Amino acid sequence: MTNMQPSEPAFDHRWLEALAQWCSRGQEADAGLIDLYIERRLELRLHVRRQARWVEECRTEGAAVRTRTESRHEIVAATGTSPKTIAQLLSGRIDTRELHLLRPLPPPDLDAPRNWKDTVETWVDATSVGDATVLILERRAAVIRPGQWQEIHTPLLIRLEALAPGSSSLLATWNHAGLTQWAALVNECPQRRVWRPSGGDQLPVIFTSGTAGVLMHELVGHLLEGDVISDGGSPLERAEASIVGPPTLTVIDDPTRFDLPGAFSSDDEGVLAEPIHLLSGGVVCGALCDGLTASQLDRAPGRGRRAAWNQAPVPRMSNVVVPPGHTDPEALENDLKNGLVVTRLSGASVDPRSGQVILRVEQGWEIRHGRRRRALAPFELGGDVLGILRSIEPDFGDDPTPDWRLAWCLKAGLPLPTGAEAPTMLVRTMEVV
Amino acid sequence: MTEVSDPIERLHRTATSTRDMVIHTNATRWEVFAKASTLREMVFEPDPPLKISMVHETGVAVRMTGRGEAGFGAASGLEAHAARVAVEAASSSLTPLPFDPLPPSRLLGLTDVAPPRQLPGAAWASHVAEALTRGVLQASGAALLIRRLVFQEGTYAWLLATGDGFVASQHDATLSLLVELGPRDGDRLPHHEWVWVKRPEDFDPEVVAAQMCNRAILAGGPTVSRDGLFNILLHPEVGAHLLGSLSSLFLPTPEDDDPLAMLLDRNGRLGSEALTLTDDRSASDCPPVAPCDGEGLPTGRHILLDHGVPRHRLACHFEAQLYGEPTRGGARRFSYRDYPTTGIGALRVNPDPGVSPAELLQNAGRSLYLLRLVAPVVTDPANDSFRLRAQGVWLDDGAVEGFQPVVEVSGALSLMLRRTEAVGTDLAWYQTAAGFVEAPTLFITCQRVTG
Repeated sequence: MTNMQPSEPAFDHRWLEALAQWCSRGQEADAGLIDLYIERRLELRLHVRRQARWVEECRTEGAAVRTRTESRHEIVAATGTSPKTIAQLLSGRIDTRELHLLRPLPPPDLDAPRNWKDTVETWVDATSVGDATVLILERRAAVIRPGQWQEIHTPLLIRLEALAPGSSSLLATWNHAGLTQWAALVNECPQRRVWRPSGGDQLPVIFTSGTAGVLMHELVGHLLEGDVISDGGSPLERAEASIVGPPTLTVIDDPTRFDLPGAFSSDDEGVLAEPIHLLSGGVVCGALCDGLTASQLDRAPGRGRRAAWNQAPVPRMSNVVVPPGHTDPEALENDLKNGLVVTRLSGASVDPRSGQVILRVEQGWEIRHGRRRRALAPFELGGDVLGILRSIEPDFGDDPTPDWRLAWCLKAGLPLPTGAEAPTMLVRTMEVV
Repeated sequence: MTEVSDPIERLHRTATSTRDMVIHTNATRWEVFAKASTLREMVFEPDPPLKISMVHETGVAVRMTGRGEAGFGAASGLEAHAARVAVEAASSSLTPLPFDPLPPSRLLGLTDVAPPRQLPGAAWASHVAEALTRGVLQASGAALLIRRLVFQEGTYAWLLATGDGFVASQHDATLSLLVELGPRDGDRLPHHEWVWVKRPEDFDPEVVAAQMCNRAILAGGPTVSRDGLFNILLHPEVGAHLLGSLSSLFLPTPEDDDPLAMLLDRNGRLGSEALTLTDDRSASDCPPVAPCDGEGLPTGRHILLDHGVPRHRLACHFEAQLYGEPTRGGARRFSYRDYPTTGIGALRVNPDPGVSPAELLQNAGRSLYLLRLVAPVVTDPANDSFRLRAQGVWLDDGAVEGFQPVVEVSGALSLMLRRTEAVGTDLAWYQTAAGFVEAPTLFITCQRVTG
């Protein structure tokens, strides 16, 4: 997938270069300066209620400076990206007396997509959602380190939050071809006769319609994030280099997939985006680290992500991608005598210490003798991470499908956009919670 | 970076420059909200480094209305440029709206509130960190230690000004601790405690350490697993999250979606006689104190539930118009960036008549004492159901029988509220997803427990 970066710079490049040189002085003075981060955001919201519609437009910008010494790790952040703000943030770390003399060109405005409101209204009107909020998010950022700088581009995102109880959010990149399917996704009517499997049942489960991506996000992505590994809480770290899944299972964290919401041109510490193989042939082979955990674990950085300018970067995945197999997904269902097929997940969580994962199933079907029978009522599936990975059948569907419901991934209170794409996969045994 | 030394004066200047720009637009009515805040977090761990984060944030928001249209724009900063960006954003977001979203000036007003609180001196945090560490070792007999201690200090100031000449402002400070407590040996999961510091000068680290250790020590020992119908006791933290999750019952709702009526018994009662809930963000002993709500309506004590009977519902002007209800106050702004919405500001349980927690535990018979949640509380008023997943200890007339690491209590929400037979006197504030809630130990009879 091509890296679709906008051609227009978000900041004055000569100003960024000058700042990088200025930060070098801090480096020389041993001020412990790590980086300076600047960010601008445009958030547009369309609220749709039965009685009214209204729009909000919010433009924010801010900057943060990180310093690190043996005795003290510090981040100081402030609203604004002006020379005055940055001079104040850097003061006490480097000589900023002449910094305010630099005059950057005013950055171009972050523009709303042309006719965004009409487009979104037309699209929402095609769905059956009653009350909803649609968010459009545009973000531009740059990281300046002593002697170097890196501009960060991320895709324009669109998020739909339906306000009906039990409804999950949808998140995608603006203009993605798959957006045309959203109305159908939203409009799926709940079945009148639904069935809930009994708690404690152990059943084979087929994850289809992209839901296997959510499963991999929890089972593999989170458990190979640097902070989880450095806390000693990842069952996958302990299993590194041993076979944890079928030999056909490869899991890649790929921020260069600009058709998925977790994409970036470089991470929020300025490391250029590159795919990282997390599992290859069923064997753990990678980890997702920010600069700090990379140095602690002796790994490569590249996944330091910030929830906003006023937050420190944390290790977090981007887009979890599972390459497809060669099996017709219908054949996977046809061969199943008794089990479940999951078509929609409303949420999921994993506890690294206990190694337990919980998946909240929103929609799916009971399978009997290869045919879909009763629709499923919302329920939860759970199990042990390593047990589930071992229980994945090696034949995957030939239908790589993005999951739009992963939406904002929330960990330690910090929400970040992430994406996933995976084919239909069969897990031989999972437990109904 | 914004120094909040004279923040209100600065916010006034922002409001003035915003007004000068708004009056050149087509707006007939408008409102400016400006805010400046500083949040400092200090993380103490047994080994260096000390981790510090300091965030200075400022911003301005504009709501304007005219010719049947309304718009909302926000921008970061307090300078003239920020004001201009916010006004332009509000202008470009103008959309036809069938009502005026700004409350009429006759509804606006101010309540007298306590003077701003002050943060303690710079040495307070390190002194308390040492004292708490020592206190935990003593109170637990060296079985527990503090793994992480986070001091959260915040100062904030906001100003609300309308085109009708109404001006309100507030300047205050907050202080809280987040403590991660773990066993000295073994790999049991750590416990987290959040403590709001009402007055630093009254904060007693030994008392707080003892309270934290009491709960952490209970969460151990021999494991017992039971199913069936039992009396339950909720630790104040569990009770706070449960009550916070019910806040939607006291907010404006479309009439055809209102679940409250379905939850009432034939006497119009939602909860038991023992349950009285108020929302009051004007009281001096609340974490958030304000002279008016996010739209300018005066704050005060709203009785939401009076001995089990619903009395008052909050409704900010915007949502009241949206749902065809009268405006009753309760508008909240999470930040300058956010549109005002109705929400609880400071939900409190009135412990009258309250029972001491020791007496509650002693007289609960064979019961389950829920110590802390292991998953968010799930309440579904529309389907009259709730679910709590928590750690708990089994008690028999106050004596501990065993610990259950994960237990689920679920059933009919209306029955659970009507079976809340007693409330304790051990009130404490907690931060919940719905807002700040002050709750005591709650005693609830005959609930379905699944091990």
